[in-house]
Amino acid sequence: MIDPIGFMISWLTIFGIYSILAITLNFESGTSGVTNFGKVFFYGLGAYTTAMLTVYLFLILNGIDVSKTPPYDIKGIIYLGELANKNPLLNMTLLLLSFMLAFMIAGITGYMLSYPIVRVGPAFVGFTLLSTGELFRIFLQHYDPAGGSRGLMSIPNPFAWVPDARTRELLFLLLVLGVLTLTYVTMHRLVNSPLGRTLRAVRDDEVAALCLGKDVPRLKATVLFIGSGFTGIAGSLLAYYMTSVNPDMFVPAVTFNVWAMIILGGMGNLRGALLGSAIFTFFDRALSFITPQLGVTIISPDYVRGFMVGFLIVAVLLYKPQGLLPEGRVETPAWEEQASFNKG
Amino acid sequence: MGSILEVQSVSKRFGGIIALDKVSLSVPQGAVVGLIGPNGSGKTTLFNVVTGFYVPDAGEVWFNNNGSSERIDGLNPNDVFAKGIVRTFQIPRLFKSLTVLENLLVTPLQQKGENPLKALNPKAWGEEERRLARKALSLLKRFGLLEYAHVKVSELSGAHIKLLETMRGLMTDARLFLLDEPAAGVEAGAAHELFRLVKSLQGDGYTFFIVEHRIEILMQYVEYVYVMHNGKLLAEGKPEEIISNEKVIEAYIGGGSA
Amino acid sequence: MLPGYPFSVINFLLYTFFYLLFSIPLTLSYRTTRVINFAHANFITYGIYTAVFLNGILGNSSLFIATISAFLVAGIMAVANHVFVFKPLEKRGASMNLIMIASMGLWIMYNYVLYMIADIAHAMIGMNFISYGRITYKDVPELVVNGVSLSPTFTAGLLYTSAILLGLYLFLEKTILGKAVRAVSDNPLLSEISGIPRDNIVLLTWFICGGIAGLGGALWTSFSGTVTPTSGDAMILQVFTVSFIGGLVSLLRTGIGAVAIAFIENIGIAYLNSLFNVPTSFRPFLTFLTLLTILIVSPPLGAAGGLPYRFRSKKVKEK
Repeated sequence: MIDPIGFMISWLTIFGIYSILAITLNFESGTSGVTNFGKVFFYGLGAYTTAMLTVYLFLILNGIDVSKTPPYDIKGIIYLGELANKNPLLNMTLLLLSFMLAFMIAGITGYMLSYPIVRVGPAFVGFTLLSTGELFRIFLQHYDPAGGSRGLMSIPNPFAWVPDARTRELLFLLLVLGVLTLTYVTMHRLVNSPLGRTLRAVRDDEVAALCLGKDVPRLKATVLFIGSGFTGIAGSLLAYYMTSVNPDMFVPAVTFNVWAMIILGGMGNLRGALLGSAIFTFFDRALSFITPQLGVTIISPDYVRGFMVGFLIVAVLLYKPQGLLPEGRVETPAWEEQASFNKG
Repeated sequence: MGSILEVQSVSKRFGGIIALDKVSLSVPQGAVVGLIGPNGSGKTTLFNVVTGFYVPDAGEVWFNNNGSSERIDGLNPNDVFAKGIVRTFQIPRLFKSLTVLENLLVTPLQQKGENPLKALNPKAWGEEERRLARKALSLLKRFGLLEYAHVKVSELSGAHIKLLETMRGLMTDARLFLLDEPAAGVEAGAAHELFRLVKSLQGDGYTFFIVEHRIEILMQYVEYVYVMHNGKLLAEGKPEEIISNEKVIEAYIGGGSA
Repeated sequence: MLPGYPFSVINFLLYTFFYLLFSIPLTLSYRTTRVINFAHANFITYGIYTAVFLNGILGNSSLFIATISAFLVAGIMAVANHVFVFKPLEKRGASMNLIMIASMGLWIMYNYVLYMIADIAHAMIGMNFISYGRITYKDVPELVVNGVSLSPTFTAGLLYTSAILLGLYLFLEKTILGKAVRAVSDNPLLSEISGIPRDNIVLLTWFICGGIAGLGGALWTSFSGTVTPTSGDAMILQVFTVSFIGGLVSLLRTGIGAVAIAFIENIGIAYLNSLFNVPTSFRPFLTFLTLLTILIVSPPLGAAGGLPYRFRSKKVKEK
């Protein structure tokens, strides 16, 4: 039984969330040359910040003693489910708070993590960030207030108070697309400005950029702050969409998926990031609709999908390294000056 | 006319190797000064110390910026640039994915549009961007590169690349140019053009300190030469004196390769 | 008295052997080929699984056969990586960054291929290869020293590590071929001019490096309680940190790093556990802190990229 509207809404919502990841990774690793193999870490930070803020405050503000009935406890979960749709103002306020907190925590973490890695080569950068993600996961598995290995469930959706399920989904999709638009416009403006030009210079030759007066460490830290901040908000959206978080959602495979997206779409190109994200999420959603129909197979389709991600990365880099949409130029008024200069 | 750059007894070692041994020299304001020596004599290391790549183990470097002298050894490379010192590299380091015009536009310091918050609002930096673009375009016109403004640097010829790397410092208030082997890898005609350009810029008040291997070209354009050998300052003087200096000849033929 | 003695000390030594077997090849491969290979973890994992399949499907219980086979499998993998991916990319002038990202793609591919192979093997024989227990090998004895029993892994580990380190040292220092390898690592341009066939040397280096890591993986199956297709990945933090301590180029410092990380992770964590009740599963955090400290205090600049930038530069003084 295929529900086309349901499929579209589901695909577009995931597309929206992943696109934020793809755009920010494109900004960090495509335009600025900061090889971020730890995308999932900031994603998870945003998601868990939102989850914990929302479920704890929800219970506390409704008068429940969380030391006796914590949100990961079965009673707490039931309470959350019952109370979710009672108070629209509470939901929306928590939504706004979550976004702000997710942005700040993920962003500041990104900024601080840049300190040990801004001076060293891309291998160390990539590897350190990859490790933070893994350590985060190990930490969460032992951190009871975040639900340990089971995580947190029954996170009240910001639109839980809307009676009709489809309307709720649509409203959430609008929220996601709204955040995506904001992220896209921000990145577009940053990339097509003197800052974007300087970041490309840093990517091309950071030593030369340093010798031309650019404070390369500060620039990289800024990039990680901005990129991670928006990534945190994407995590926030994920937490609300899934209504649950657990450590196994934030594995390196997520980072690699986003990398495959920007490599396929074209590193350094914003629309390329969107294109890559659209293609990937579409196939992912389509496959998850089809797989139950396939029945039992010898090889799990998950493995084939995972393999394709790696294969795609290698194949694109070998045969079409710029991806589908190559990087354009920095669009500033300078080009108008050039045109009129040539005429005059 | 005082000296714009003073290197005082600078030493630098790497593990067991002494790269610079109490080197002292000074570059007079507005002069074109050469630095020569066999391979491995420490010329590039000296440049690296002056421009902040390395911190000297001993000694000081002073830079005279419009009247007041400042000590610059130990500063980071970007701070050294901000003081007004530009350097080029033996193998030119331009930004390969940017066009010729963009390579010039990257150079000015503290552009409004480089601030992330201001960058979000095109109106905040648009004026400055246009002004810098006009300045860059006039520079390109002056040096005959205007037709390449929109061309990616990776497609330029070797001579043009050298030229671009040398002149991009003119987008800022840089006053001292450290050129590392500007004639390397280009044919003689282009090399001479570059040096003639240097002399004409000297007329505009800029100072040049040039490392060069092709001595036959360099000597025609410099007024003073320093010679290094094995990390030490071997000799100094006017070009005519240096060419006939026995110690210098011996260093080139005997100790190192030219 | 050291906490956890004697087990923490034995584990410290064991892990030293393993980290040496895993990290020295990583450093050597980077130094010679200038490729940062994130698929290095696969050499270990495929080494593990060569031993696992030999044991599970063919009933092999000889550590010798397992390690030699693992060496061959992983060595061939390394050569394949070079021939099909790294060399074509290098020929096209791809940056080190791009090749590193390609090696990421390879890492992913190899991981899932292994899962698929395990699935197929499971379908054919009915055994679960996704999670495999410790293998008992019959051709290595268990020793008893001073009343402490040393597992077969210890004996084999000691033998293999000493043999390989000694062999590498003699090879690199005393043989012509080894000196050619060093020439290619230290001075690629000069070695080309001197007529050394760089590509052959690189192939040989990859074969050796992949092989040693794979051999270590096979040895791991005698030690670890459970192996899974991500067993190699679970150790990359340590393996890469050890190589980073060597700045990715110094074999000696990599060796020191192996000892240091093994120490921190076994004896250091034992101290923290007994004094502050830190759970032993937190040992990766200690390694990570070590990594961060190295990056801040003594960043590996030069060989694998880096900025000549000091966070606390001298103040400018007026004359």
